[in-house]
Amino acid sequence: MEFLSFVIFLIIATVLGVVLMLISNFLGQKKKIVRTNDVYESGVNPVGSATRQYDIKFYLTAILFLLFDVEIVFLLPWALAYNNTQNTGFMVAGFVFFMVVLLVGYIFVINSKSLKWEE
Amino acid sequence: MISDILLTIITMVFALMVVFSKKTVVSALALLMTLLSIAMIYFQLGTLFLAAIQVLVNAGAVAILFVFVMMLINLEQFENNREKGKVKLVISVLAVLVIMGIFALIINNNIEVLTANNIPDNSMKLLFDKLFSVYYLPFEMATVLLLAALVACIVITGHEKAHKVELEESHE
Amino acid sequence: MLEGILEILIKTVVILGIPLGALPIIIHVERRGAGFIQRRLGPNRVGPFGLLQPLADVAKFMFKEEVHPTHVRPFFYSLAPLVALTVALLPLACIPIMAPLEINGRTIYPEVFRSDMGIFYAFAVSALGSYGILLGGWASNNKFSMLGALRACAQMVSYELSLSTSIVAMIFLYGTNDIHLMVAAQTGYWFGFLPKWGFFIQPLAAMLFLVGIFAESNRLPFDLAEGESEIVAGYHLEYSSMKFAIFFMAEYIHMIALSALFIILFFGGYSILPGLDLIPQSPIITPILQMGSLIFKIAFMIWFFVWVRWTLPRFRYDQLMDIGWQRLLPLGIINLIATVLITYFRNQ
Repeated sequence: MEFLSFVIFLIIATVLGVVLMLISNFLGQKKKIVRTNDVYESGVNPVGSATRQYDIKFYLTAILFLLFDVEIVFLLPWALAYNNTQNTGFMVAGFVFFMVVLLVGYIFVINSKSLKWEE
Repeated sequence: MISDILLTIITMVFALMVVFSKKTVVSALALLMTLLSIAMIYFQLGTLFLAAIQVLVNAGAVAILFVFVMMLINLEQFENNREKGKVKLVISVLAVLVIMGIFALIINNNIEVLTANNIPDNSMKLLFDKLFSVYYLPFEMATVLLLAALVACIVITGHEKAHKVELEESHE
Repeated sequence: MLEGILEILIKTVVILGIPLGALPIIIHVERRGAGFIQRRLGPNRVGPFGLLQPLADVAKFMFKEEVHPTHVRPFFYSLAPLVALTVALLPLACIPIMAPLEINGRTIYPEVFRSDMGIFYAFAVSALGSYGILLGGWASNNKFSMLGALRACAQMVSYELSLSTSIVAMIFLYGTNDIHLMVAAQTGYWFGFLPKWGFFIQPLAAMLFLVGIFAESNRLPFDLAEGESEIVAGYHLEYSSMKFAIFFMAEYIHMIALSALFIILFFGGYSILPGLDLIPQSPIITPILQMGSLIFKIAFMIWFFVWVRWTLPRFRYDQLMDIGWQRLLPLGIINLIATVLITYFRNQ
């Protein structure tokens, strides 16, 4: 039942988006001149392709996010389970170890200065 | 029942798209869709927790990394020489063998197939009980593994000196 | 079965209808609010007090020419706004607008689907928000768009980290993922006057979450994705007519959904505002008051967004990343550790 509700919601949301997007296809002005469909680069002819090499820091941000995100997602079930267990001391000891390792990693990242955008 | 079959077909189609698509970005986006449809399967089986984790980690972080990289670096110049001919054949044969091996395992060991009906209601509680008692050490070790990955990616990407030396060498 | 589907349909229409119907009002408030803060009039010509201005805007968007630039990747160019809007709408599916209703011995839940993993679901789905922007930027095949999309994406993922630490802290304190239980835990008063809102036990987490919302929905002072002075309009530079409007709508709906999450975690969700609970409660009045309270809280959040937008200037990109990684993330981690340790030692 929950899944069915979700699917119905998803379908209605998608259909809504499609309908909204098609409206201006029907109602919009159709008159086109040659320059309408040109690329917008502040009135200058574009130089080179848009898919070029960008700064490695974007990539680094993404991969560091992935690693930290996985660690924090590990903590979500931990936070849920903590409240259902008797063995809280054991749980907290594990948590402290987990966080210490996470902090070591974090300090390493900051010290390596790889996240400094300003040279 | 219908939704089972439909979801499986959708997942398979996207998975095949990952392999056979000519464009790398399309492959990456198809991978994202595969991961999302797997999350839908989890949801359909009644474990929203796993579905949410799947979306959060695999679709929200892993796939975004792939898509990001595909869009970041100009891969279109390499797209014409993706693995062709023999390499593709060998990989396909290997993949088929692995899939057959998995099926053989399932059939030989009578592994129970999960449907929405035979998942216990307190499956999350059972999972947590095991994860935070017997498997607590592996749980902790995961963070050490992640630390190693973190160090590796900093060393590979962020090493200013190595980068400069490389640049100078390439100039010579 | 048929009855069940009808129920789902009604809920879906209501849940989608409220934010979409509120959009013109929000946009009007935003523009008039800008005028108010900057000591000018703002739109006041169309209709009484300019109230019909949003409708005029919508009509204008609809009748605009649809431009499909020649250099874009056509399929993804059309897909991107759709992804942005759908993903922005998804978290609303499990946000309850009132307490479960008892009708003829049957419990009816006000959210589209009921789950004890509500917060997880909303959080996970809103994490997908960067895909619409990334797709739009990439499909536009334009350097400005691409840069805007990359910036937006890097910014969203960076601030998601500190946001998740505050969610972990709140889930730890409430001990549940169930939105109804979370709201129940925040109903009532301390010392007879202070509402039991999460904000008062975790102010730091609340601040982290609040900053996170601004960054996630690309609002000023974090709207580097569309920084006009540098990259013209960022990821929606090549978009026009309804496609542009949909990106715009997606941003506002994302804002509403994240504000709703913030209110559930820190300001008691649909729990009745202090003062209003003096009104005698009855099975009919209570749900209305709950809905009114939630809408009032969300409206206040939206006004807060507008307020901040016209008060603070935009950050520089390196400052933005520094704040995210070097200030908020360690604060979030330390807050989490402190929360766990204090709770543990207090219960000993």
